[in-house]
Amino acid sequence: MKNFDVIIIGGGHNGLVAASYLAKKNKKVLLIEKNDNIGGLSEYAESLNCISPIIKKELNINIVSTNHTNHIISLEDNQNHTIVEYNNENLSFLKTNADEHNQQNFLSIINKYKLFSKTLGSFMFNQPPRVKSGNRADIMQLISMGWKIRKLGKRNMRELLRVIGLNIADDLEDNLSNDNLIGLLSHEAVLGTNLGPRSPGSILTLLYKQAINNNIFNLKKIEVIDYINQLEDCCNNHSVEIIKSSKVKKILTQNNCVTGIELQNGDIFESYCVMSNADPKTTYLNLLGAEILDTDFIRRVKNFRNKGNVAKLELVFEKEININGIDKKMYGKFIYAPNIKYIEHAFNANKYNKYSEKPCLEFYINKNILSANVYYVPYVANSHHQENEIIKNCKNVLSKFISDMNVIKENLITPNQMEKKYNISGGHWHHGDLEIDQLLMMRPFYGSAQYSTPINGLYLCSAGTHPGGGLTGINGINAAKKVIGDLK
Amino acid sequence: MNSLEISYKKPLLETPFHKRTSELCYSNNWYRWAGYKVVNEYSSTELEYTAIRNTAGLFDITPMHKYEIKGEDAKKFINKLITKDITNIQPNQVSYGIWCNEDGMVIDDGTIFCFNENHYRIFCAERNLNWLSDTATGFNVSIEDISTSIAALAFQGPLSCKILNLLKVDNIENLKPFHFDNYDLENHNITISRTGFSGDLGYEIWCDPSEAIDVWDSLFKFNKDYKVLAAGMNALEMVRIEAGFIQPNVDFMSAEQALRPNRMRNPYELGLGWLVSLDKDYFTGKTALTKIRQKSLEKKLVGLDIEGDKPAVGSVLYDGQKKEIGIVTAAMWSPTLKSNIAIGYVNKDFMKIGSTVFAEIYHPEELEYKKIWANCKVVKKQFFNPQRRYNIPADI
Repeated sequence: MKNFDVIIIGGGHNGLVAASYLAKKNKKVLLIEKNDNIGGLSEYAESLNCISPIIKKELNINIVSTNHTNHIISLEDNQNHTIVEYNNENLSFLKTNADEHNQQNFLSIINKYKLFSKTLGSFMFNQPPRVKSGNRADIMQLISMGWKIRKLGKRNMRELLRVIGLNIADDLEDNLSNDNLIGLLSHEAVLGTNLGPRSPGSILTLLYKQAINNNIFNLKKIEVIDYINQLEDCCNNHSVEIIKSSKVKKILTQNNCVTGIELQNGDIFESYCVMSNADPKTTYLNLLGAEILDTDFIRRVKNFRNKGNVAKLELVFEKEININGIDKKMYGKFIYAPNIKYIEHAFNANKYNKYSEKPCLEFYINKNILSANVYYVPYVANSHHQENEIIKNCKNVLSKFISDMNVIKENLITPNQMEKKYNISGGHWHHGDLEIDQLLMMRPFYGSAQYSTPINGLYLCSAGTHPGGGLTGINGINAAKKVIGDLK
Repeated sequence: MNSLEISYKKPLLETPFHKRTSELCYSNNWYRWAGYKVVNEYSSTELEYTAIRNTAGLFDITPMHKYEIKGEDAKKFINKLITKDITNIQPNQVSYGIWCNEDGMVIDDGTIFCFNENHYRIFCAERNLNWLSDTATGFNVSIEDISTSIAALAFQGPLSCKILNLLKVDNIENLKPFHFDNYDLENHNITISRTGFSGDLGYEIWCDPSEAIDVWDSLFKFNKDYKVLAAGMNALEMVRIEAGFIQPNVDFMSAEQALRPNRMRNPYELGLGWLVSLDKDYFTGKTALTKIRQKSLEKKLVGLDIEGDKPAVGSVLYDGQKKEIGIVTAAMWSPTLKSNIAIGYVNKDFMKIGSTVFAEIYHPEELEYKKIWANCKVVKKQFFNPQRRYNIPADI
């Protein structure tokens, strides 16, 4: 039996960030990871646009970003693909069948969203305020949030307040007539959410993701594996004790206070502070146990919407992959979400817990390997999908653009499998939908926001907390700061 | 019974006693309770009341919600649900308890029957299946709504034990208050508990719906000498006020149903602090109630002894300077006590027994209101509490 200042459950990237930060502040930290490798779900993150400046500053992490993905290719059945180049914050069209007017409007919408997401971005990096605490710091933060919106000016503020609850399809259809461009932006709004382009709140999701990634198109600029390795090094340098391949069985409590954890193998570690990087549902219902939580609170835990709907597909081709009619130099992030109707039809199945017969795809090509995010493939409780059918559907889509479909290896990971492998209930990228009632001080839900829990000494640092998933590490840093503050 | 289909076709269900109750219901005055119709008044509320207080009255309480709790965690589950510690409950014992939400606000009250360590039954007035099921998360326990499978009668009054004894219900007089057991009543196997809503000696009888009519009939068998009357909800309301029992959504808003947060009430405000064991390991609302306990109360539900004979129904309560300090939730002229009584909320300066407040009573008299300014004394809620309620063996 050993004593630690802080025990962290789960070696996902937020757990690593929190561990490094706490260890840097001279805390004795233990990190438990269920799998053989740390990093958690990040190994599936296809794209990472940047490392948040706060992580860079606090943990001295810096990775040179590569420049090999600057192109976004929006595929269309009639082979009139749109290719957009993203260079030093500037967008330009390399190929498109959209007219001048549509191109102009497309760029101005992106600028508009960029402005709004910058405003939202200033809320992203801090611990969200408590609304009714009466605390000076909380009130100041609320005022500053209001002021940031007011600072946009009368016209832009009105526009932000107009679109913030709107669906992306309405705003795009008001300004654009080119299906391909509309599909492209809709894709960015709905990927990884439980929304279709016509679902209210899909603009907010887009702005939110944009604020997290610092780019409307999340591109592959940083190798995720390098980032995770650096975080692990950082942990090791600050002598964080890491136990891999061990599953936590229970968080131990006494009189509403944490006393430690018990592993599946029976080992017990003691600490008055436990931080859970598991998703909120797993933390509360499995690790802590509902028996010691108020019934209203359990209701909120159960009602947290955390149904994932993106599957990961990896296809290994016999030969190097060729996309018809596109030059190899142009390759980048491919998107197949040709128009709103197509995406909405795909989304329709999701409403009934079925996979889309005609899925939307986002994929990258590395020589003969194609790895794709496929949606919608919803998480299904106590059941599973016909995975072969899903792969077949994806191949049907891909065969429109790839003539030589000679695949030698295929691997599909559905949200159900993600749940199992990473212990994320629902298999959701963000541990829970990024919708207006599950954001900021309402994330994950009332009574558990600001990284704290009803149990003294138990904290959350997972993507289920503010500001959500997306490899920002902000959750980890903020939670760690909260712990340091409370331990004082 | 496919109750869903039935309730869809007929807006109000009939209880297994309906054949008898409808024959007796001269006034055809029905009360709607949990999807059923039960009698509000058979012919005269006063007469029914008098029977309960002097001989015995019989209520059809079948619409009561009944939940069967089974499983190895059953006791743990109930200890999480209710604020009281039932660790020491014994088989055949009944416990009265309340349950609160996370803010320590009362949702409902009910009686808990213990069959054995792993088997309990909860009886309550409001629907609670949703709350019970959510509370059961993480416990190895099954919760079943058995409301339609048990017919229930309340047999209340000073002669209730005598009549059961005459019916040769063996050893009924030795059944202790808040206990229950299985008995044989004219070849029907029934469960009898010494519980009730009248504040007097009385029993509740639980039987299979198929035996309902037989059980009902046998209780009237000795009516030549002991006038048992079927009593309606109006009479029940009278006796429960005298007994000082409170009712959800009448004396307090159930926390699950109140829309306005400041309308919810905690156990201390309802005078039910004795049902809260804060030293218990864990129950829903413990954290909140621990905090509430440390503060002084803002208002409290008390009994009021009011001058005059005009019931203070719906009255507003004032202090000597005509400043509003509370409200009456239930009021009546008590024929047994010969006094004008009420249950109501008063604020913190008037919670002490013996305090004086004033009620503004609007008494209707032939299409005009008589406005009365009545002096009220704060008293204990339990107005009527005779010794025979506790006697073992019970009076026969």
